[in-house]
Amino acid sequence: MDLYRLGIKLFAANSPSLQTKGFVPIFHSWIQRQCVAGHQLIDVHDYSHIHQGPGVLLVAHEGNFSTDMEDGRLGLAYFRKLPIKETGASALRAALKTVSEGVALLEAESSLSGLRFLKDELLVISNDRLLAPNDTRSFQELKPALVAAFGEGAELVQVNPGTKQRLTVHVRLR
Amino acid sequence: MTPTWEEKLADRIDPQLAAEIDQFETEITLRKQGKLDEKVFAETRLRRGCYGQRYDNGHRHDGIRSQELHYTTELTKGPDTLWDAPGMQRIKIPFGGLNPAQMDALADLAEEYADGVLHVTTRQDIQYHFIHIEDTPAIMRRLAAVGITTREACGNSIRNVTACPLAGVCNTESFDVIPYARATARFMLGHPDAQGFGRKFKIAFSGCRQEACGLVNLHDLGAIAVTRTEGGKVRRGFEVYVGGGLGAVPHDAKLFDAFIPEEELLPLTQAIARVFARLGEKKQRDRARLKFLIAKLGVEEFRRLVLEERQTLHQDPRWTEYLGGVSEDVEKPLKPPTFLNGQKRPEGFDGWYATNVYRQKQAGYVVASVTLPLGDLSSWQMRELAGIARRFSGDSIRTTVEQNIVLRWVSETDLPDLYRDLVRIGLGAPGAGTIVDITACPGTDTCKLGISSSRGLAGELRTRLAAKSFNLDQAVKDLRIKISGCFNSCGQHHISDLGFYGTTLTIGNRKVPHFQVVLGGKWQDNAGAYGLPLVRVPSRRIPDVVDRITDRYVRDRKADENFQEFVKRVGKKELRGMLEDLTRVPPYEVDPSYYSDWGDPREYTIGDMGVGECAGEVVSVAQFALTSADRLVFEAQLHLESGDYVKTDETAYRAMLQAALSLVRAEWPEAPDEANSATEEFRKRFFDTNLWGDRYAGNKFAQYLFVRHASGPYRNHDQARRLVEEAQLFVEAVYRGHDILSERVQR
Repeated sequence: MDLYRLGIKLFAANSPSLQTKGFVPIFHSWIQRQCVAGHQLIDVHDYSHIHQGPGVLLVAHEGNFSTDMEDGRLGLAYFRKLPIKETGASALRAALKTVSEGVALLEAESSLSGLRFLKDELLVISNDRLLAPNDTRSFQELKPALVAAFGEGAELVQVNPGTKQRLTVHVRLR
Repeated sequence: MTPTWEEKLADRIDPQLAAEIDQFETEITLRKQGKLDEKVFAETRLRRGCYGQRYDNGHRHDGIRSQELHYTTELTKGPDTLWDAPGMQRIKIPFGGLNPAQMDALADLAEEYADGVLHVTTRQDIQYHFIHIEDTPAIMRRLAAVGITTREACGNSIRNVTACPLAGVCNTESFDVIPYARATARFMLGHPDAQGFGRKFKIAFSGCRQEACGLVNLHDLGAIAVTRTEGGKVRRGFEVYVGGGLGAVPHDAKLFDAFIPEEELLPLTQAIARVFARLGEKKQRDRARLKFLIAKLGVEEFRRLVLEERQTLHQDPRWTEYLGGVSEDVEKPLKPPTFLNGQKRPEGFDGWYATNVYRQKQAGYVVASVTLPLGDLSSWQMRELAGIARRFSGDSIRTTVEQNIVLRWVSETDLPDLYRDLVRIGLGAPGAGTIVDITACPGTDTCKLGISSSRGLAGELRTRLAAKSFNLDQAVKDLRIKISGCFNSCGQHHISDLGFYGTTLTIGNRKVPHFQVVLGGKWQDNAGAYGLPLVRVPSRRIPDVVDRITDRYVRDRKADENFQEFVKRVGKKELRGMLEDLTRVPPYEVDPSYYSDWGDPREYTIGDMGVGECAGEVVSVAQFALTSADRLVFEAQLHLESGDYVKTDETAYRAMLQAALSLVRAEWPEAPDEANSATEEFRKRFFDTNLWGDRYAGNKFAQYLFVRHASGPYRNHDQARRLVEEAQLFVEAVYRGHDILSERVQR
């Protein structure tokens, strides 16, 4: 499956010491430093008023980051927008590398006083209903890339198959 | 081979829409190949609803320095607009009408191509932000597959046709205007007679005169439903108004005809479009709306020309063929009517019911308002809301100009369950149509024209007011707040009780975000009156402005006195005096919070801007003169309030001359204080040389002075009122002009 519109969400392990709005100045400082490799960081948008929404959004040309609150669980989500040369597992690894970079920056942020992220649980979201509708067939097609990217032992569970949501896979690493 | 939406949806898209989207996709290809001029492409994409967004010129100030944004291509999608820069997609929703399938599609697209958020606008549209131009054909095809077009959502065209969200279920309407709004939207979409405009054209429909309804007064063409009994038969028709509009200087719509029979609605609209296309201004964008043509011709002459044009039109069957189906064009409720009758109510239900539920004229049914903070909802919320609509209201959903969504034809006993579902998805907040339900345009968040953060301020006020809403006096709860990021009025600040629009002032060497306080606007009576600016206050102190004015209103209002009456009785002078101390800005070193805007920690000012000795002196003298001009504008308002239009005109004109002189004297300190000389020197030194001019508004504000100088004095209320607004904008523009001058002196 030649999929590049991919999203990955890494979950927070604990609650941040500040409100969602507190991420606004942090993301602005990322722009000042242009500190995410391979990304032209552009702007910050505060959506903290939306219930279980994207929280605070950091817009980049290549993909967007957000302090996602869907299902009430805080995490850092990254959605790739621009095509990349990698495909399959390599594309997944590239997206994981980018979001992990964001997580490392947040974990190093002193104003967040020890916010940590889980390293063994994540969501993979296909953001392309044309290439990968949310059905079991798409999941099966995506599975080899997921296994290659996260290892044979990874537990892969399709979230709400058959619904109008995007194809989403809950990944637990072992 | 990779599948495409074009192939997948081929049999679900109207062939005409499909051909138009194919054509747009070809134009994208041609532009990429350099075979289409950037200006032509810009108007082409605007007519498809693809709008520019802030920072799309490739520069953004990050709070410390201006950064160049690096993209993969140097291609542009319009003058000074980079191809790869994120843009906005506006989606027309005629009369705000949606069904659940459309809501699902809109939710999906926001997730896949935007940022997962849908924004409801003040004209019932939906907007996506951070869109790439090359994704737009797919977006358009997927929308077309559910019966939505983005055609003519922007550009010099007929924009979304709006209508009262209660049309068809309202207790006070003459009749349901939706079949007529729908027919007008369809008939005029892409109509050849509506392609040659110099500017946009907005149409609205109202079912009754006395409610806010469709806000007819602020539209180029507004129609209020009326009936007339002739020969024992009730005839349907419309009271038609023309030439209304907000923008920098609002114009009241003028009555075109007290009764246009229903069969004449479409041919009359066509005739008006033809006259506007033929005679409307084309070169000067800021004088190109219909309101200026009508101000120039007078409504009588405009009417004569339109009626003359009407006689030349060839009969078109579409003018009347829809009328046969009007009586059947009624919504079918999903469930039988029922009444709330001693049911157990969930916690919070009663407060929500009091503000968010409207009982329809059809007994047993209600309209439920879904309040959207800042007009936003996520894709997930939109999809869930579609599910809720399927369960409780069917296809009868509307977006509103107050940036909410309403579900109509809800059977009353379903309300507790509906409320529980809304609470579950975070959309069960009470307060629809109250002071917490604040309207705001995108402002500096995404709009290229934004001066101050309208959304940031709206969010802050909303949080503060919601926290104390239980303790607010009912009179305060009933007030409305509307905020625009600049003078262009997209947040409709002129028609609210408390309105604000963004402006800026330079204090020392730094810029400080401000808002003009606008009081006295009227939401009812189809936007029955426009408020006037009172005083410019630093953004940081606007919450205090709201507190002081509302506290005084609660304390001093007379029994049954509404807010407009209260403002009129107390008077602008006293109200301004109450706020005077809030206008002071402490030095940066004392309180830097004044120097950034709500929701944006970046320093608002251009940090590296310094002022040389010479410029410092100039600015200081200028500041003195401008303060005096500010005072004169305010005095002009007081004259207007007292009905003395001669003095209003004289004082507002003097304010403009004073401001113009402040710039002239920066170059020629001995310039004489005389009207002809001041105007001509200003024209020669700053207008003709293009030395002064707003980046986006150009020299439009200078024209206010030139026109008054050439055509004054003004003696009637409308002209005097307009001049006060123009003087205010001119003075603010001169403030910005001094900033430009200072920067130039430094360089």
